[in-house]
Amino acid sequence: MAKTIIDAHNLSKTYNKKIVPVKAVQNVHIHIEEGEFVALVGPSGSGKSTLLNMIGGLDEPTSGTVIIDGVEITNLPENKLIDFRLHNIGFVFQSFNLIPVLTAKENVGFVLQLQKMSKEEREKRVLDLLHQVGLEDKINSRPGELSGGQQQRVAVARALASKPKIVLADEPTANLDSKSAGNLLDIMAKLNKEEKITFLFSTHDMRVIKKARRVITLVDGKVDSDVQQIPK
Amino acid sequence: MLFQIAWRNIWRNKSRSLVVISSIIIGVWAGIFILSFSWGMYKNNIDETVFKQLSHIQIHHPTFIEENDSKFTISNIDTIVGQLQADNRIAAISSRVISTGMISSPTTASGVKIYGIDPLSEVRQIALDESVREGAYFNSGKENEILIGEKLAKKLKIKLKSKVVLTFTNVQSELVSGAFRVGGIYRSKNISLDEVNVYVQQDHLRELLELKTSESNEIAILVKDEELLDAVKNYSRTVVSKGKIEDWKELSPELGIIIESFNLYTYILTGIILLALTFGIINTMLMSVLERIRELGMLMAIGLNKRKIFLMIMLETFYLTLVGSPLGLLFGWLTVTLLGQIGINISMFSEGLASYGFSSMIYPALDSQNYFIIAFMCFITALLSAIYPAYKALQLNPSEAIRKI
Repeated sequence: MAKTIIDAHNLSKTYNKKIVPVKAVQNVHIHIEEGEFVALVGPSGSGKSTLLNMIGGLDEPTSGTVIIDGVEITNLPENKLIDFRLHNIGFVFQSFNLIPVLTAKENVGFVLQLQKMSKEEREKRVLDLLHQVGLEDKINSRPGELSGGQQQRVAVARALASKPKIVLADEPTANLDSKSAGNLLDIMAKLNKEEKITFLFSTHDMRVIKKARRVITLVDGKVDSDVQQIPK
Repeated sequence: MLFQIAWRNIWRNKSRSLVVISSIIIGVWAGIFILSFSWGMYKNNIDETVFKQLSHIQIHHPTFIEENDSKFTISNIDTIVGQLQADNRIAAISSRVISTGMISSPTTASGVKIYGIDPLSEVRQIALDESVREGAYFNSGKENEILIGEKLAKKLKIKLKSKVVLTFTNVQSELVSGAFRVGGIYRSKNISLDEVNVYVQQDHLRELLELKTSESNEIAILVKDEELLDAVKNYSRTVVSKGKIEDWKELSPELGIIIESFNLYTYILTGIILLALTFGIINTMLMSVLERIRELGMLMAIGLNKRKIFLMIMLETFYLTLVGSPLGLLFGWLTVTLLGQIGINISMFSEGLASYGFSSMIYPALDSQNYFIIAFMCFITALLSAIYPAYKALQLNPSEAIRKI
């Protein structure tokens, strides 16, 4: 039996508690096992990004707990949380993913440098990752010289660089055309299969939803459905 | 890599970075210029006072300055002068007989300080001959020749060769008078002194005052090197045990006040410049931080801790300062070197300044230590200015920052 990698228990988030309370996420329970490829879907304002941010330790829940690989991150002090994220969680955002002044190679290597990996090892890992996302010919290009799809592929490579337990992607294909989006999802699915990394991504893009093996639907901050499916 | 990111970040918006670099260059340059100008101004004033009026050291009878009476003299003057002259640390030495009295022309009279000098020794001592504008410097060979200031000549309505009468009390406290003929009219850079100081032959004045030939009221010493001042002063004490020995700082305490006030103005002006620099940097760096909120949020999300975010913003300012400061130093040095040679003519204000002993030509000067103090102050100012923008970056919450448009 695969172990639980993400355990969100009774998770709630309320914004503007004192003025006009907005319940973005309400009493959500999610258990995700190692190696799953999960899509978090729902209409705009359903709480997908908020839930992802709380699972990733970027946002503090109003109540409830988040346990990643056995570590309750909701209780971690800020510096330890940053360190935990660095070693255990990879992020892919909708946009502004990369450091504009660094090349693709440097962007991917940046996380590894923060982890104090040796130069030789780092070099090897970065080239390997950029090869896996099909950007070996763009290693010295800066984000401004890459297309949106290529930038997202670099972001995926960076998210995977530290060999994290999970990768959280918030609407990764929102700004991409069909071809680039399909390409990116294929890469993510391949890495999920080969490297056994758990992927959880929020989306309302049908192309993405079809590729997922499990689809969790959020409506008004609550889990409306949680179904397994055969990816197409 | 943080160093690399910070360095590249400053070139993302070249014009903005160039504005900050220019502010730093101007800040350093202006600081150097103001300091060098002020230092040039009061160095000029010190030089004028030391080399044209007081000399480095003066020796008097202990009560001469207080009583202002010619009867308080230093005896055995020739022996003392000879002994001091033999010391190779001393550049020039002269003895003076001094009295105060009235100078009268056919039309008016005025109070004066009468210096009985040995013309030759004063050439080496205060280069009095260089100040003569009309006539000659004691070359008539007559004992009743007098050298008066241009301003006094105007006041007395007299010209070269005019006759004047000096009236004063001798050592017996009897009123004596002597007729003198104007042999030269001088103009120094201190107009107020030109109106009161007159110079006559020492032997003649000594005779009128009924002093012995071995007596004088003042010994003036010019040292070869300012650093030897204290040593020469101590040596003089062994030669003239009963004399009151004072250096130029003690003789002219008002000069110290002028220097102090100049220092104060300098610090105030430098402070204003640095304050302007501070606001410039805060504004620019804050803009730079606020423009990058999403990026900073992303950096925090992927594992860059707040200490490193803070360091990155500080490094960006550090680099800007690192580029600006040496250029500011270079431009400052070039300005000081150039103007130090050709001088700055402030004749527009020279009438007023001359009454305080300032020349109308200012030669900016600054020692190397001050260059680095200014650069260091700018450096510290720049880094302090970056603290607020860096602190603002620390206040960011990664999830909120990422959501910002």
